[in-house]
Amino acid sequence: MPTKSWLGTFITRNGYLLGGYIILAVLVWILLVIVLPQIAMLDFSFRFDLPPYKQGGPEDVYTLSNYRYFLLGYPGNPDGYNYVDLAVFGRTFIAAIFVTILDLILCYPIAFYLAQVAKGRLARVLGVALIVPYWINEILRAFAFRVIFGASGIINSILIGVGIIDSPIDFVRENVALYAGLTYAYVLLMVFPIYNAIESLDPNQIEAARDMGAPWWRIHWRVVIPFAKPGITSGCTIVFMLAAGALAAPQILGGPSSLWFTQIIYRTFFESVNWSRGAAYAVILLVICTLFVLLMMRIFRVKLGEIGR
Amino acid sequence: MKLLTRLAVVAYLLLFFGFLLGPLIIMSITAFNSSTFPRVVPWECLTFEWFTRLANDTRVIQGLEFTAVIGVFVVVLSLLFGLAGALLLTQIFPRARAAYYTIVTSPILMPGIVIGIATVLFWDRVAHFVGAGRDSVFYHGVFLTVLGQSSFIASYCMLVFISRLQRFDEGQIEAALDLGATHVQAFRKVLLPFLRPAIFSAAVVAFLASFENYNTSVFTLGHFSTFTVVIAQKVRFGLDPSISALSVIIITATLFLALLNEAYSTHAERHPGNPLRSVFRGGVSGFFAGNPAAFLALLMLAGIVATTVYATRYDPTGCKAEVLRRKLEIQERYARPTSPQRATPPAAAPGGQAPTPPRQDGFGGAFNPQNLQVAPAPSPAPAPAPTPPPPRQDGFGGVFNPQNLQIAPAPGAPPKP
Repeated sequence: MPTKSWLGTFITRNGYLLGGYIILAVLVWILLVIVLPQIAMLDFSFRFDLPPYKQGGPEDVYTLSNYRYFLLGYPGNPDGYNYVDLAVFGRTFIAAIFVTILDLILCYPIAFYLAQVAKGRLARVLGVALIVPYWINEILRAFAFRVIFGASGIINSILIGVGIIDSPIDFVRENVALYAGLTYAYVLLMVFPIYNAIESLDPNQIEAARDMGAPWWRIHWRVVIPFAKPGITSGCTIVFMLAAGALAAPQILGGPSSLWFTQIIYRTFFESVNWSRGAAYAVILLVICTLFVLLMMRIFRVKLGEIGR
Repeated sequence: MKLLTRLAVVAYLLLFFGFLLGPLIIMSITAFNSSTFPRVVPWECLTFEWFTRLANDTRVIQGLEFTAVIGVFVVVLSLLFGLAGALLLTQIFPRARAAYYTIVTSPILMPGIVIGIATVLFWDRVAHFVGAGRDSVFYHGVFLTVLGQSSFIASYCMLVFISRLQRFDEGQIEAALDLGATHVQAFRKVLLPFLRPAIFSAAVVAFLASFENYNTSVFTLGHFSTFTVVIAQKVRFGLDPSISALSVIIITATLFLALLNEAYSTHAERHPGNPLRSVFRGGVSGFFAGNPAAFLALLMLAGIVATTVYATRYDPTGCKAEVLRRKLEIQERYARPTSPQRATPPAAAPGGQAPTPPRQDGFGGAFNPQNLQVAPAPSPAPAPAPTPPPPRQDGFGGVFNPQNLQIAPAPGAPPKP
């Protein structure tokens, strides 16, 4: 369809004022707020980190040095590879997958229960109980886990009191606090998409499977999960991306020796004040995580369009 | 077998909601324990001082102001973007629809710090391009934060609008236009009233998202701080029960609003016509009859008022002195064999200092290093009086657990006269 006739029908349908507002607002949003900043970041990531007076000068040329640094470290690095950053990235990546799986296992039953089993007032109360923690600030939720898992926190006190252990376990150093906090932070984002998907499943299908003599696990495996696949993918995608990009929880709950990749980016920006390398690292995080999500969707045969909240 | 399944379901529900609500409950309890480290056990004394401390924290209050300003701008901008985005989605030509939808929802999945970094870098480029300096609007923290947050919050708003627009009958607009309404009139009198609930909920979602955003704001804010960023700094550099007190306030407000909403919707279901007016006409008893949420909300309100009144009269000084005395005894018992000259002074000091008024909260915060820079209010004034000479204070620091530092220098309390 040619653009002009589309624009013509668009204007006749909305009028100049309203049509103008829609076009202008969407253009500003997409261009100035979403797309151009990403392009600017990409552009920055391919440049040297120059002082302002040199920018635009002869030295201001495109380079891969920031990406090379991520892989190989500083020039002449005897180790061969930049093991520190690569290890942090790998650990963040695997931890984010771990948190996603944990959330899926934890949330699938509750989503099924709320969508198909719970009725009336109970369902409503459970819904409120699910949403209330999400209204509390992310920082405060992380703080709650610091309080619980601290050396003199309630878990250590109970364990010592019961006599299971003699000296407090350092949950923060062992990253237990971090994984628990991250899992906790994204519970609702996993429950909602799965709940939405399962809710539209006709209960008669489950009934029919049961009448045919299918055990409960086969009902889930063959009926509910295939039906809820878009919701599950959607939830997993959101949780994985947010967990990999989390900054507050690792800063508050992370152990002293374990960094999250976002913290490296944060330090590159605020401590090394190297915007180009920070931009390159942000691009790496975004691109690899996006590619991973797309790969997973290909493997599990879910189309992008099926996802939506 | 059936019983077993049911038991398993109940156990799972208990575990799940225990995981969900337990941390919040435990954190809330720590707000009332006088221990300077937020904890439940060992319980020391019931206290409300952390709430006072919170109210006197100027950085938190100032952060709240910036949060409010940014929140208002973000709500307005996100509603404008989101509404336009939703309206365009149904009208854009089908082949571009999938790509368009992907672009406008992508900010939701983008890591917050990527958005923050991209926003800062882009406006830095723009500033270079137009030749604006460091003090121009392109480097202003509020400006950058509003734009950075709007990019993904507008997507949230758009999703809210889309789900409402799916139930809209386009024929209504056509009918209005056929009857001679202008486009603007049709929009204002037909579409906007239909969208009103969606506008309201999108605004609430937008404000909440802006309020609790950290990942993007921390990059875009520059030298400003919002409430969430201030809290994050506080939490990163030391645990302090006044943060628990803050959580108690937020949790209470959330619960209360949720109950109120539930009460109102129960009521609205029963009085479909004009629920708000029937509240007044049916009288208060009519509103509460058969509406447990309303009753609970009232109970909660009464509880809040009672607690506040109680807090103003309550004085934990005696209890805290008792706890301090017990601590000193333990300290003494453990310290004597190794370094007797260090451990005795604290026990002796109270006797000498007994006449000083036992106002612990006065200098309670004075020795906490974090508070020195934040609120040097009236606390430093009474501090010098009971302070032991410097070398002795060193002894304190060595003997006491650093977390107890706040209680340690309180020999003003007369445990053993």
